[in-house]
Amino acid sequence: MFKYEENPGYRMNDLTFLKEMEALSGQNISACYQCYRCTAGCPVVTQMDIFPHGIIRYIILGEREKVLKAKAIWTCVQCITCSVRCPNDIDIAHVFDTIRKVAIKEQKAAETDTWTFDKIFLDSVARHGRLHEIEAILRFKVEKKNLFEDAKMGIGMLLKGRMGIFPHSVRDREQLKEIFKKCSQ
Amino acid sequence: MTALTYYPGCSLKTSSKFYETSIKQVFSFYGIEIQELPDWSCCGASAANTVDERLAHALAARNLALAEKQNNHLFAPCSACYIRTKVTNERMRQDKNFREDINSVISPLKCLGTGEVKNIIEVFHDRVGIEVIAGRLKYDISPLRVVPYYGCLLTRVMGMEAFDDKENPTSMDSLLWALGVELVNWPYKMECCGASKTLTDKDITYDLSDKIMDMAVLLGADVIVTPCPLCQLNLDLLPYLGRTDQALPILFLSEVFELAISGRLSGSNSHVIAVDQAVKKVKKIGG
Repeated sequence: MFKYEENPGYRMNDLTFLKEMEALSGQNISACYQCYRCTAGCPVVTQMDIFPHGIIRYIILGEREKVLKAKAIWTCVQCITCSVRCPNDIDIAHVFDTIRKVAIKEQKAAETDTWTFDKIFLDSVARHGRLHEIEAILRFKVEKKNLFEDAKMGIGMLLKGRMGIFPHSVRDREQLKEIFKKCSQ
Repeated sequence: MTALTYYPGCSLKTSSKFYETSIKQVFSFYGIEIQELPDWSCCGASAANTVDERLAHALAARNLALAEKQNNHLFAPCSACYIRTKVTNERMRQDKNFREDINSVISPLKCLGTGEVKNIIEVFHDRVGIEVIAGRLKYDISPLRVVPYYGCLLTRVMGMEAFDDKENPTSMDSLLWALGVELVNWPYKMECCGASKTLTDKDITYDLSDKIMDMAVLLGADVIVTPCPLCQLNLDLLPYLGRTDQALPILFLSEVFELAISGRLSGSNSHVIAVDQAVKKVKKIGG
């Protein structure tokens, strides 16, 4: 039987998490009236453990752990369909992106591949000013210890001239490094 | 008319180099002059937006600041570059505190958000127009059945106006119509291709891109046409991702212009899925 004592969030008497997420995302999450339009339009909903409308509801209910540990926030492809369709103008995709940051910070992320790749991507941009595709991809593969998994695809792309071997860099790399330095503070 | 500063972004210099070649050929035919943005840097794409939003805006503002020095419109053919840069530009123009903060990060550069960011569809409409497009056709491309594929990023933007309808854009349809193709109406104009999941969770990209390809095949299309380099790449990689069924070539919007102007594709060898069948259908007008 469902017991309120074991599910304190369901009483909605603890709005700490809701307030925290609203402040971090700048979104009016409490405006959600559960119309399910976000879930109905989501192209990757079949791969999600908690559907988008559910994530929003759990935030309102104060289910902090459930939300931060959800796989769904990493399944999201950031196509922004949910946000555009929300009748209450909640940028749901941005809320998901905000949850990602908190989940990583508190080491509760259900999956770290997306974050790892994004960091490697930005590291490449920090050093060259532009993405050096082959370097970023190889570093990610080494990190994942599956260097040869997509070798056929990689070689195919190289043969089609669709992957640059050498980096192409910006000239003013010092100024660019400054930008990264200032943002990491 | 304001000159155009061209912001290629990383894709048009590496994985979609042939998109740049194609754009330059078509633009020179119509007399559109572009100058590459000096010392441009990566827009940060979705990576910066996920990891550090301030960095994402700073990277976009750096390019905007460089472009403002030239007083031109900034032309970004890549959908990710376009939307990231446009979103930052709007906020820099409207939000004083935000502008001051970001400018302190990119100093000594300074961005005011006074410029305009344009995508390739807008440039064709503004600088050429459908009358001129329809009036200067050299090849008959009407045998080509085409599905227009816009992708997620061009018009899905929150808190500001998009250049076209956010759910059912038609601006590329009218360009393709003026070029004389047989346009097919379909439900996947803006369906997501899987974006950068190709590397982190390729089953997702496979599922999404495969579904889009299935629909295009079902409707009897000859080609899928897109302005977005990542959409083009993901769909073009389908044979490597595991698709064994029929796969249609994915042309960049500028490549359809190439067909209508020159009857050939300068980047045909860069396509993974062969384009020969589609190119063969094109016939010289009066020839």
